[in-house]
Amino acid sequence: MGDFDRPTTYGLLKAHGVDRRTFVRFCSMTAAALGLPASLVPKVVEAMETKPRIPVIWLHGLECTCCSESFIRSSHPIAQDVVLNLVSLDYDDTLQAAAGAQCEAIRKKIMKEYAGKYILAVEGNAPTKDGGVYCTVGGDTFLNILKETAEGAMAVVAWGSCASNGCVQAAHPNPTGAKPVHEIIKNKPIINVPGCPPIAEVMTGVLTYVLTFDRLPDLDRLGRPKMFYAQRIHDKCYRRSFFDAGQFVEKWDDEGARKGWCLYKMGCRGPMTYNSCPTIKWNNGVSFPIGSGHGCIGCSEANFWDNGPFYQRLANVPLPGVESTPDRIGKTAAVLAGVGVAAHFGSHLVRNAVDKKPPEGPGASRDSE
Amino acid sequence: MASLIRAHDPADMERYSHRYYRRRYVWQWPIRIFHWVNALSVATLFSSGLYIASPVMAPAGEAFGNNVMGTVRMVHFSAAFIFLVSFLWRIYWFYMGNNYARSGFPMIWKGQWWSDLGRQASDYLRLGRGHIHLGHNALGGLAYTLFVIGLGWAQIFTGLALYSESNPGGRVDRLFGWILPLLGGSMSARMFHHLFAWGFVVFAILHVYIVFYDGLQYRNGLVGSMVSGEKFYKEGDLDHESWLS
Ligand code: SF4
Repeated sequence: MGDFDRPTTYGLLKAHGVDRRTFVRFCSMTAAALGLPASLVPKVVEAMETKPRIPVIWLHGLECTCCSESFIRSSHPIAQDVVLNLVSLDYDDTLQAAAGAQCEAIRKKIMKEYAGKYILAVEGNAPTKDGGVYCTVGGDTFLNILKETAEGAMAVVAWGSCASNGCVQAAHPNPTGAKPVHEIIKNKPIINVPGCPPIAEVMTGVLTYVLTFDRLPDLDRLGRPKMFYAQRIHDKCYRRSFFDAGQFVEKWDDEGARKGWCLYKMGCRGPMTYNSCPTIKWNNGVSFPIGSGHGCIGCSEANFWDNGPFYQRLANVPLPGVESTPDRIGKTAAVLAGVGVAAHFGSHLVRNAVDKKPPEGPGASRDSE
Repeated sequence: MASLIRAHDPADMERYSHRYYRRRYVWQWPIRIFHWVNALSVATLFSSGLYIASPVMAPAGEAFGNNVMGTVRMVHFSAAFIFLVSFLWRIYWFYMGNNYARSGFPMIWKGQWWSDLGRQASDYLRLGRGHIHLGHNALGGLAYTLFVIGLGWAQIFTGLALYSESNPGGRVDRLFGWILPLLGGSMSARMFHHLFAWGFVVFAILHVYIVFYDGLQYRNGLVGSMVSGEKFYKEGDLDHESWLS
C-alpha cells in the first residue's frame, strides 16, 4: 500500500493541531499496548508519519454488535484515535452517518478504488442454510455480501467468536447453518480475534499492528494473534496460587468464595481458554470475570455454548440422547462390568454345585480325552 | 493331587504323558516388568486424575504454604511419562521378544484367529474348559489390544495434548497441540481424557476376574505367570508357535 492519496496518521493529527510531542507520546502508548519494546517506537512513529491510513470495510452479519460495543470503548489506543487516525473506517453500517443505498454505494466504491488494498473486518457470521436467507442486508444475503467484499480485500479480520468460531448461532443444533468466516472465505489471510466480545484493546491492537508493520501479526494454529491469545487465562490468573494449593470455592457464598479462592470447581473455563483477560482486563482495566468472583465461561473458545453447563467443570458426553457426565457413564460401565463378573462367577458356582462332581485336580476334565 | 504323586513314576509318565503338566517359560522379564509398571502407573494415573478433575479436601491456611493440586499434578504427569516409556518399551519388545510377546496381536486376517476367538468366548460363557493357550488366546489378545493398547495410546495422545497447554509454543505443543482442535477444543479433549480413563477401570475389573477364573479353571498357573513367567500346559494344548511365525 502507500500509493493512494490518503493522509498519513501524522498528517491528519497535524491538521488537527496535535503537536509532535503529543504525537510521539501517542506512538509510545500504542507500541506499549502492542507489547513492543521501546526500541521499536521509532518504527511506529515512522509508520504513522509515512503510511497512508488503511481503508477498512466493517461488515455486520449474524451478530449482536457486542464487538462494536467493545471496540468503541478501547482506551489504549482510544477508539477515536483508531477510527479517525489510524485506519480509515470507510464503511461500517452501525457507526457510519450514511444510510440505505448511499451506504452500499460507499462499500462498492471502496471495493473498486482500493481493490486489493483494503481490510475487511467482519463482525458476526453468515448463515449458509437455504441460500443464506436468514441474514440479509440491503436486500442481499450476508453470505453473498461477505464473499463479494472479501474478493478484493487485502486481509480479513474476523471479529469476535461469531466470525472466528461460530458462537451462539452456530451452537447445536445450528438451525441456520451459521459458519465462521474461515469456513466460507478460503483464499484470503484471516486473523481470528475471538471473544464474546473480544477485548477492546485487543481489537485496536490488532489493527494498529497491521498498520505499523504492514503485515499480519504472528498467528497460532487457530489463526489467532499470538500476542493476545498465546496463553490460557489460567496461566495468568491471579487466583492460580489457590489452584496449585488445592483451595477451591465449593459454593458461591462459602468461606473460599470470600477468601477469593480458585473457581475451578465452579466450572471456571480458565484452564481451557486462550485470551488476555487477566492481563489487559476490561473496561479500561477495571476488572475481568474471575476478578469479579465469577468463573470464566470460555467465550473465546470454539463450541463454548455446547460445552455446558457453565457451572460444571467437565463437559457432558456428547452422545445423542445422553445428558450425562463422563463420571456417570464411567461408573455405570464399571458397575455393569462388576455385575457381569458376579453373574459369571455365580453361574460357575451353581454349575459346580449341580454337577456334584466338581472338577478336582489339575486339568481334571481333560483327563478323559 | 493324584497326578502329582504319579509324577514320580517314570513308567506312568511315559504311558500317560498327556495327563502330565509341563512347564514353559512364556512371559520374559521385560513383559512382566511392563505389566507391573503399567498396573502401578494406571492406578496412580486414575486416582490422581480423579483428584485433578474434582479436587477434594481443601487444605487450611494460606495458599503459599500448600501445594496439593501442584503435587498431585506432578505425580500424574510423572506417572504418565512412566506409562509412556513402558508403552514404547513394549513396542520394542513386541519385535525383540519371543513369540508369546506377539501372541496378543489380533490377527484378523487368519481364520485360525477368528475360530479361536469364538471358541474362547464360548468356553468362558459355557463355563467349559478348552485348551490352555501358551501366550494369549485370541479373546484375551483382543481385549488387551482394545483396552490397554488402544485406550492407552488414546490417553497418551490426549494427555500430551492437554499437557502441552501449560507451555504454548513449546516442544510438546508443536508435536501434540494439533490434537486439541481436532477433538473440538481443550474442553472436549478433557472430557474424552476423563471418559477414556474409566475404560481402564472396566478393564481392570474384567481382567482381574478372568485371570483368576481362567487360572483356576484351566489350572495353567496364569496368575503366577506374571511373576514367574512360567505357564503350565499339557500335551496338545495350543502353542502359539504354531499360528505365529
Ligand atoms: S479461577 Fe479459573 S483461571 Fe483462575 S486459577 Fe482458578 S481455574 Fe484457573
